[in-house]
Amino acid sequence: MSGNVKLELRNLTTLYKSGDGVRNINLTVNKGELVTLLGPSGCGKTTILRTIGGFIPATSGQILIDGKDITHLQPEKRPTAMVFQSYNLWPHMTVYENMAFGLKLRKVPKNEQKRRITEMLELVKMTGYEKKYPGQMSGGQQQRIAIGRSLLLQPDVLLLDEPFSALDAKIRSQMREELRKIQTDLGITVVFVTHDQEEAMALSDRIVVMNKGTFEQVGTPQEIYNHPVSRYVADFIGEMNFIPMLDGSTKAVRPENISVSHGTGKDLDGYVRTIMMLGHYIEMTVDTDIGIVKLYITAEEAEQYKKGDPVTLTLGDYRTYSDHQSAAK
Amino acid sequence: MTKKTWKTYLLIAAMLLPSLILALGIILTPMISVVIQSFQDENGNFSLEQYRFLFTDRMALDNLWYTVWITIVTVIGAIAISYLLALYLRFCDTKISKFISTLYLLPRFVPQLVAIYAMMTVVRDSGLLNRISQLFGYNFKPGLLYNAKGIIMMNLWFNIAFATMIIVAALAGIPDSIVESSRDVGAGKIHTFFKMILPLSFKDVMIVMTFIFMSNISSFTTPYIIGPNHPKLLGVYLRDQFSRMRYERAAAISVLIFAFSSISAVVYLYTNLKEKEWEKTGL
Ligand SMILES: Nc1ncnc2c1ncn2[C@@H]1O[C@H](COP(=O)(O)OP(=O)(O)O)[C@@H](O)[C@H]1O
Ligand SMILES: [Mg+2]
Repeated sequence: MSGNVKLELRNLTTLYKSGDGVRNINLTVNKGELVTLLGPSGCGKTTILRTIGGFIPATSGQILIDGKDITHLQPEKRPTAMVFQSYNLWPHMTVYENMAFGLKLRKVPKNEQKRRITEMLELVKMTGYEKKYPGQMSGGQQQRIAIGRSLLLQPDVLLLDEPFSALDAKIRSQMREELRKIQTDLGITVVFVTHDQEEAMALSDRIVVMNKGTFEQVGTPQEIYNHPVSRYVADFIGEMNFIPMLDGSTKAVRPENISVSHGTGKDLDGYVRTIMMLGHYIEMTVDTDIGIVKLYITAEEAEQYKKGDPVTLTLGDYRTYSDHQSAAK
Repeated sequence: MTKKTWKTYLLIAAMLLPSLILALGIILTPMISVVIQSFQDENGNFSLEQYRFLFTDRMALDNLWYTVWITIVTVIGAIAISYLLALYLRFCDTKISKFISTLYLLPRFVPQLVAIYAMMTVVRDSGLLNRISQLFGYNFKPGLLYNAKGIIMMNLWFNIAFATMIIVAALAGIPDSIVESSRDVGAGKIHTFFKMILPLSFKDVMIVMTFIFMSNISSFTTPYIIGPNHPKLLGVYLRDQFSRMRYERAAAISVLIFAFSSISAVVYLYTNLKEKEWEKTGL
């Protein structure tokens, strides 16, 4: 197992002067794995990534790549490559010059440079843009080049800090797919940062859900979606109904795990509030004593209900969280 | 864009006319008359005598080279110091850099004469530095007055604040991620400076250089007060000739100063107008 570990964070703590930062981070990322740090803005994702890249010093703890301690190396000495949210490319250099810069530093021969750049441009679907300047390309194109430029240097670990967040939704999901394909094809190890849970679910081998500078849960997208360890994770990932119980605990149920029928007497009674068509499924909200509950139903089911109908809900697969947020089935 | 007819052009011309006439009147006319005067001898006849004198007379040549030399040293010194200071302010986030960033503009707010006399009381051979050194049993004489060193020091005092201000703004316009991604792909600090920071701020440096050159080639107050009797800076030399009522020669000197300024004005316009390929956005 340990022979398969590419990146390891051991008890990593990075604090700013203000006292903000991340504390006691432990994480192992395997070779060829894509791990996503997911959490709301300000929870410390960028801080971890920049500590790995060497742009901020670790306060304590260790960063190991292939078992070697890189905690105190300058960024230029680390076998990592980082893609930032924006302004990645050097504006005074053409695409070709941008890509050649790192290769030149590594004394790669001219013709070898050209061969590798041509190959990489093909991989990121930017052939023909060699002579363009960053200012002459769209945001999506710039990020393709930025990713290509990083991949060209064959980093041990690729660090991506919300690389697609400045792009519009359609291009974002397209870039996501392409990144995933390139990443699995080349077998590179990636730490990806995002605040978008959908993006994390779509891309990741494993997700780290973060909360205020610490890890809340680490697991595959399925584990995190189906077995969120805390109310915080349950709330952050996907849609979730929280139903307060008399004993002070809370039941958490996904909308797809609730079924509806006419009448009263099942787990929860209420009245149909809205029925909304959302693509291939239909979302119904029901007014109950404990607030609004959301569920997904099929088109055939939807036809049997209208606004104001008295209905009763059956809670399928649910989880219970007590006040101190630990999970119990 | 709306299509402009000859009528709109006529209207624009008509509206610009008053200011054009004013500009012609108060700038161009005296300039032309100075140029004409510089090509005359004492009796008002056409002659190249004034220029011949300025470029052959030993003292006049001394003055000319002295002025050019001091100006160039000032430009290079001010840019070098300002660039280092700006780099420090931009990239070092310490208490000292924060403190300096609140202080470095101070010289801009001290009137020139006040600054010169204040400096004199500090650095003259019987000034503050001398007295302090005497307290420790030395007799330190800075020797900064009435020579080039003093003028250059004063010029630096006046120009560093301005130059730093512009360069700090230029460096602030370079996003961190540009510098960081350069380090990230393996470039050290020096390499990053020469390949990223310098090219991205080069235009502003050129502009600052032309500004400092223009304002110092014709400087008067500083060299008048703390400069040597010989050689003189062109500004002082001009006043000198003027007070001796050699108006034609004074005119020739001012044309010379103007010619120097024009060279840097051309450099300024060139760097400003010449948009590099990467500065054009094709979108
Ligand atoms: N350079 C900095 N100096 C001081 N505090 C910072 C700095 N950068 C980030 N922080 C603080 O550290 C915390 C984590 O920030 P960050 O890692 O950028 O979060 P995220 O990337 O998850 O949005 C935030 O509270 C933020 O305000
Ligand atoms: Mg961030």
